Amino acid sequence: MAANILFMFSPFAVVLFGLLSERFKIAKLREVVAVLLSAFTLYSVWLIYTAVNASPTKVLIFSMGGAPPLGASFEIDMLGVYMAFSSALLGFFATVYSVSYMAHDTRLTEYYTLLSALVSGIIGVAFAGDFFTLFVFWELMGITSYTLVAFRKDRWGPIEAGFKYMVMGAVGSTMLLLGISLIYGMAGTVNFAQISSTLHGSGGSLWLMFSMLIFVVGFGVKSAIVPLHTWLPDAHPEAPSPISAMLSGILIETALYGLTRVLYITFPAADFSLLIAALAVLTMTFANVLAVLQQDIKRMLAYSSIAQMGYMLVGLASGGILGFTGLFLHVFNHSLMKGLAFLSAGSIIEGTGSRDLDKMRGVAKAMPVTSIAMFIALLGLGGVPGTAGFISKYILFGSAIGPGYWWLTVIGVLNSALSMVYYLRAMKTLVGKPSEAISGVKEAPPLMLGVTVAMATLIILFGVWPAPVISYAQSAAAALTNLSNYVRVILP
Amino acid sequence: MADDVVFLGAVLALVAIGLYCASQRSMIRILLGIEMILNAGNFALVYFASSRAALGYVDPLGQSLAFMSIILGGSVIAVGLALIVNTYKHFKTLDVEKLRRLKW
Repeated sequence: MAANILFMFSPFAVVLFGLLSERFKIAKLREVVAVLLSAFTLYSVWLIYTAVNASPTKVLIFSMGGAPPLGASFEIDMLGVYMAFSSALLGFFATVYSVSYMAHDTRLTEYYTLLSALVSGIIGVAFAGDFFTLFVFWELMGITSYTLVAFRKDRWGPIEAGFKYMVMGAVGSTMLLLGISLIYGMAGTVNFAQISSTLHGSGGSLWLMFSMLIFVVGFGVKSAIVPLHTWLPDAHPEAPSPISAMLSGILIETALYGLTRVLYITFPAADFSLLIAALAVLTMTFANVLAVLQQDIKRMLAYSSIAQMGYMLVGLASGGILGFTGLFLHVFNHSLMKGLAFLSAGSIIEGTGSRDLDKMRGVAKAMPVTSIAMFIALLGLGGVPGTAGFISKYILFGSAIGPGYWWLTVIGVLNSALSMVYYLRAMKTLVGKPSEAISGVKEAPPLMLGVTVAMATLIILFGVWPAPVISYAQSAAAALTNLSNYVRVILP
Repeated sequence: MADDVVFLGAVLALVAIGLYCASQRSMIRILLGIEMILNAGNFALVYFASSRAALGYVDPLGQSLAFMSIILGGSVIAVGLALIVNTYKHFKTLDVEKLRRLKW
């Protein structure tokens, strides 16, 4: 069983084969190895899923240095494996896409190693069963993503965006450390289950409330909650497109997962739901208004990511099984939709050589397949029925009515309508009258095309046949809300 | 209890100084500020590890967490320094006010 988490070490294999392929000039060896290992990661996560599903308690434990309350451990429940599956799937698509997209760049060994380490870090955060493990993988995720944002280091943009992201991300994770230390001081442990049994419902002391605020700030920086979002609209556009897809599609959601898990196990829902609801309104309104003003397609998509984080916060604020189902369903759907949007935008930018929306007017004539994939992604992000985005937004906004946050539903639906303004504007630009700038633009290479087509198919598939994903998201939400089961497995 | 107030006051003061440093113009000072906030967290961990009198010994859990966070903080600072070196090589400045090309 322990062999199933061997995929965590795939960065080491990538760097080894990368060096071999550089030393002996074997063309494409490292690309093949990186793709195979990302497929292996996906397969391992699938095996872990079946093992978790088959176990009577629905929680698997891997520990190091002693049994769980003392040692560092992975405590994998349905929710952890759900997040891991989303990130492994997107990681696989991004790696395959990179083979063609990054072919003209140098230092590819570093690139694939960092990408593979990023996926391992995200999966580690999703599996973590205590703050120690969470913090280590959190920093692995952070360090690799700072480096990948600044990967094209000979240009101004990536360096500036990377430094900004590094400073904000590092302040965020130091805040997280401070929060962990306060919780450790109060509970005397860093294990989630033990913290839950010691602190949950112990009455809100001042220090407990203070540590909650610190957690909201610490996780909020990485999950780009307004007003802590300022790094995102710089970092996401400047990163290479597969990395933008990874950051927008799964990294910020992993941060939100961390926030959800930590808040839910430590504090009663009544303590934080109003704060989160206010942040949700602020986040989605602010980001949607700014997205309308953007001229750069990737920057527009980055603001759209912040807005989608606002929608997901609605699920956290309303809580309960319905709210969390909506939240995690949207995490999965958003990882496909925003991943596809960034990847097809990457193909279009590669073709036209510009990120300016005006300069890609009429590109649909030259790149029909990529443009149709982009259309599907944008319609999904807007929540048009028939795509996966509709289902998850419907559940998310519906879930807010039950606990009395009807105003959150109203604002969410209005925001969703507002977001169609910029999605439709982008679509209109793509099918507009072609300018001379795009004469001679050709369709993307087959590998990039294949990835975008596969993701577009999945979005449509889960839009018209959502039952399996919904039941999967429901079991993930049930694993989170059934706190007593999670605690009992670790502390019998 | 009085000890708690003194130590946590020191931790919060370190955080405040760190945040002040992180809002400066020089990139190096920003990194120093981050390091200071990180050490505030480590300080709190070490204090809580040693203040758990009920155990009769210093709790190794808090100390090991502090060690690990020192290592991780070092790696983050290394990435930051690499970015600073790159910035200086290409753009001959360490002033964040000049890093203002990206707007909105």
